[in-house]
Amino acid sequence: MFKDLDPILHSQLRLSIVSILMTVEEASFTFIKESTNAAAGNISIQINKLQEAGYINVKKTFKNNYPNTTVSITKKGINAFETYVNNLKKYINPQK
Amino acid sequence: MDEKNLTPEESILLISRTIEDTKKRFEENGHIIVLWGSLTFIVFFSQFIFSITGLYKLFDIIWTVILFPLGAIYTFIYVRKDVKKRNLPKTLLTRVIGTMGWTMGANLMILGLIFSKQLGDALAPIFLILLAMSLIVIGSSIKFKPLLIGGILLNLIGLGSFLINRDYHGFSMMLGAVVGFIIPGILLNRAKREEHV
Repeated sequence: MFKDLDPILHSQLRLSIVSILMTVEEASFTFIKESTNAAAGNISIQINKLQEAGYINVKKTFKNNYPNTTVSITKKGINAFETYVNNLKKYINPQK
Repeated sequence: MDEKNLTPEESILLISRTIEDTKKRFEENGHIIVLWGSLTFIVFFSQFIFSITGLYKLFDIIWTVILFPLGAIYTFIYVRKDVKKRNLPKTLLTRVIGTMGWTMGANLMILGLIFSKQLGDALAPIFLILLAMSLIVIGSSIKFKPLLIGGILLNLIGLGSFLINRDYHGFSMMLGAVVGFIIPGILLNRAKREEHV
């Protein structure tokens, strides 16, 4: 039978954020905002959910007196993403 | 971005599109590659002109010592500004290319300025082969064939330079600058511009 898809990752914006973080070592909040074209408030909410799940690390610092948030994916996040993609493949190609 | 229920197909499409878009934002536009090709060409062409006019000993070292560090300073400022302007995060690829570029540049400078006597006739061929190696790595990493081909040709020019008289090594460097850097750099720049049209 099909395995359930991870509800944390099975959301458009959270999946986009995690996909970006799979490509980079770490990304700033601005980079994620520009890449996803989502509203800042919405991104903040989704980042919090991903952080609570332990999928990402959030680092808050200051750069030129402005708050600078950077996020990176955790080992748990990478494993969850890989499992999610494998499960998706099983949904699309059940025979394999 | 609106939230909606994703089908498995939409999820796969979203993942591949996001990863592809993110990778595209890191791609080099060829500007720095053309710059270094032009600098190399100018330095060796001017050396040739100086040797004809008999001013070689007066200007050669000063010219080379000024122009290459200026190129390094410009590259440093340009890359920093570009990263800041485009909010580029760190990736394994940019870290590898960056580290390789700076390490290669520093070593070429040291070889040229300090160990040129020890290297003797092998200086220019070794320069060309080292530069070719970086172009081949960058070309295959960013999957841009003209840069990869340019790197391979530059490698062949470098190996071929061992077989010719040292007096002609300046021409090998100029040819290498055009074939390995300037032409692929312009093609990369054009490809990037067409992508954004």
